[in-house]
Amino acid sequence: MLSRFDYVRPQLLEEALAYLRQNTGTEILAGGTDLMIMLRRNAQMPGHVLDIKSIPETKRLEYKPGQGLFIGATVTVNQVAEADFIQKKYAALVQAANSLASYQLRNRATLVGNICNASPGADLAAPLLVYDAKVHIANSQGNRLVAINEFFTGVKKTVLQRGEMVLGVSLPDVTAGDVSIFLKQARIKGHDLGIVGVAARLAADKVCRIAMSAVAPTPIRLTKLEEVLNAQPLTAELAIWAGEEARKLIKPISDVRSSAEYRLHVSGVLVKRALTQLLDMGGK
Amino acid sequence: MCEKHSAAEKCFSYTDSGLPRVQLICVVNDEPVIARIDPTMTLLTFLRKELSLFGTKEGCGEGECGACTIIMNGDAINSCIVLALEAQGAVITTVEGLSREGKLSILQQEFINHDALQCGFCTPGMLMSARALLNRNPNPDEEAIKEAIAGNFCRCTGYTPIISAISSAAKLEREERQQ
Repeated sequence: MLSRFDYVRPQLLEEALAYLRQNTGTEILAGGTDLMIMLRRNAQMPGHVLDIKSIPETKRLEYKPGQGLFIGATVTVNQVAEADFIQKKYAALVQAANSLASYQLRNRATLVGNICNASPGADLAAPLLVYDAKVHIANSQGNRLVAINEFFTGVKKTVLQRGEMVLGVSLPDVTAGDVSIFLKQARIKGHDLGIVGVAARLAADKVCRIAMSAVAPTPIRLTKLEEVLNAQPLTAELAIWAGEEARKLIKPISDVRSSAEYRLHVSGVLVKRALTQLLDMGGK
Repeated sequence: MCEKHSAAEKCFSYTDSGLPRVQLICVVNDEPVIARIDPTMTLLTFLRKELSLFGTKEGCGEGECGACTIIMNGDAINSCIVLALEAQGAVITTVEGLSREGKLSILQQEFINHDALQCGFCTPGMLMSARALLNRNPNPDEEAIKEAIAGNFCRCTGYTPIISAISSAAKLEREERQQ
């Protein structure tokens, strides 16, 4: 590591936001599982590292009936996976959390860090997309809310502006009968990045949502497919059709983990499988 | 620029930033530690360079291999991708903290009994991941053991004896507690 940076760990949000505004070239540190690697490789050489783990607002993890779920910016992936209220209500989120990297990394990595890093393959993005999550962004002037489907703007790019930080994400409450699933294809079972990730949800009102990761420059919702699915009752035949159709809506690339052809193939399989399993879970 | 490799971009080894030292207070293996350190130092570098705790290893340096696994505030973590200053006020256990009064712990002894190490490079990390697992789940099944060490790479012993050692240690620790 060749960076020379000040390390600051403010106790108050106001202090952090003032520091961000005053110091260009500040990198925000939460879990550090992405940032520390960039520092080691000298791929990023920030002058300032702002550790947000002591800010009370970022540690919030709570569920309120009728209001939903809030996950603060320094809540770790293991905290998400182990929270009983998330396990009961937001199955796809827990499944995605448990599929991310290794146990040690999940003890450090944060859900918000996963989306701020904005990898096309971010495991936690697809579940957040099917739950219509909102990203709470703060700057020294105030707060703004951005829908998760508008948060990603490209590979490793988000709507975040200089001087801004994410405080957390909120997910609307779900009612009984709401089922969801996350499926991930990786080269090995265990510590690996996904070749393709699929989250599917069938809400209690029978509205179906599908999102995917690692098949486009950003994680995406398959809204066109959802429109067709939501115009008729979900059946096993429709699930098979949706698997075929999903392949037409994505633009995967070839990389070290998979060829584009295999990504296309397995995307269809996973969409079909996810919808079939939602049906089995009593979706209809 | 790294003095050792005189290469700015490809040098991955630790270089002292020369920045003013900052105080770090934490507890390592039950001993209070007060040190003045380089703010850009990783926790792994701190343990090895400043405290001479050479049990914890650097493998990949990027959180992939698990050789640097330690327990911080009860959680197994990769110390190579944590800044030393993030451990301010933390309680840390490294592999050196597993034995008591010169006597190996049950877990360490079971690694020996099951031939769960050959070159030994992954062993400190394996032991710490296993320790953290047994602390949170005293009776893990094989799946739970595999999941707990999925982030610890072994390239020579093979995982089967390691899994047996952890399973056996869990059983012996449970028996010991009942006595």
